[in-house]
Amino acid sequence: MNPQLQLLIALQDILSLIREARDPSQKRALGKMGFKLTNLEALEQSREDLESQLSPAIRSQYARAKKRYGRIVAPVINGICYGCFVKIPSAIDTAEDRNQTLYRCENCGMFLFWVEK
Amino acid sequence: MKLSEILTPRRIALDLKARTKEEVLEELVRLLKLSSPARKALLRTLTAREELGSTSVGGGVAIPHCRSLVVSKVLVAVGLSRRGINFRSPDRKRVFLFFLIFAPLVGNPGEYLVVLGSVAQAAKVLARDRRIKKVKTARDFIKLVKELEK
Ligand SMILES: [Zn+2]
Repeated sequence: MNPQLQLLIALQDILSLIREARDPSQKRALGKMGFKLTNLEALEQSREDLESQLSPAIRSQYARAKKRYGRIVAPVINGICYGCFVKIPSAIDTAEDRNQTLYRCENCGMFLFWVEK
Repeated sequence: MKLSEILTPRRIALDLKARTKEEVLEELVRLLKLSSPARKALLRTLTAREELGSTSVGGGVAIPHCRSLVVSKVLVAVGLSRRGINFRSPDRKRVFLFFLIFAPLVGNPGEYLVVLGSVAQAAKVLARDRRIKKVKTARDFIKLVKELEK
């Protein structure tokens, strides 16, 4: 897998974790189950560490997508970009180098990740 | 949702070899038989989730969980550690029963919380039942879960 895509996926997962931990209703629900989300600073630090490993060009695209959508990588499932729910051109969807080359959705601009079935 | 319905025998390990928190997360993720990039990504996010706070809920139970871009459906694995593992639990007890849960990032977070809640509830009941320590096969484990669900 493309190393920058690997970083972007880790960042996307961490951004979702951070959002979950900041959402009062999710935090309450998780607290009731016995999970305490206390150390948000450690997570923010991990996010910063990962961001610093992005190449400068990708980092600016990342920052733009994060600002615009709050998300950066969209999963592709059955040929659909789950960022904007638009069909990916089939030449890209069936490309041999998907997940090896960094592709972005032509419609929403998010980085694309083809999920294993 | 019933816990027994999402358990698969091949994703249940009744004698975990791991001795540390890091090792047990890795051993549990391996049960899912995913590709190496997916496995690495999930371990990374799980570790980040543990940074936020231990997923041990006390009473010898831990439920490492996270949502991730790399899974397309809910995945569950179970592990039993005979000697117990220091999992930085709030009650400082060693953890012997582990439920690993992954859910996709897309989809309803409410649904994920329902799955997590059902597993947390069932796991606590299971950990208090003495028969858990005598379970010999994965099928027996599922049978016991079903019995406790009645
Ligand atoms: Zn899109």
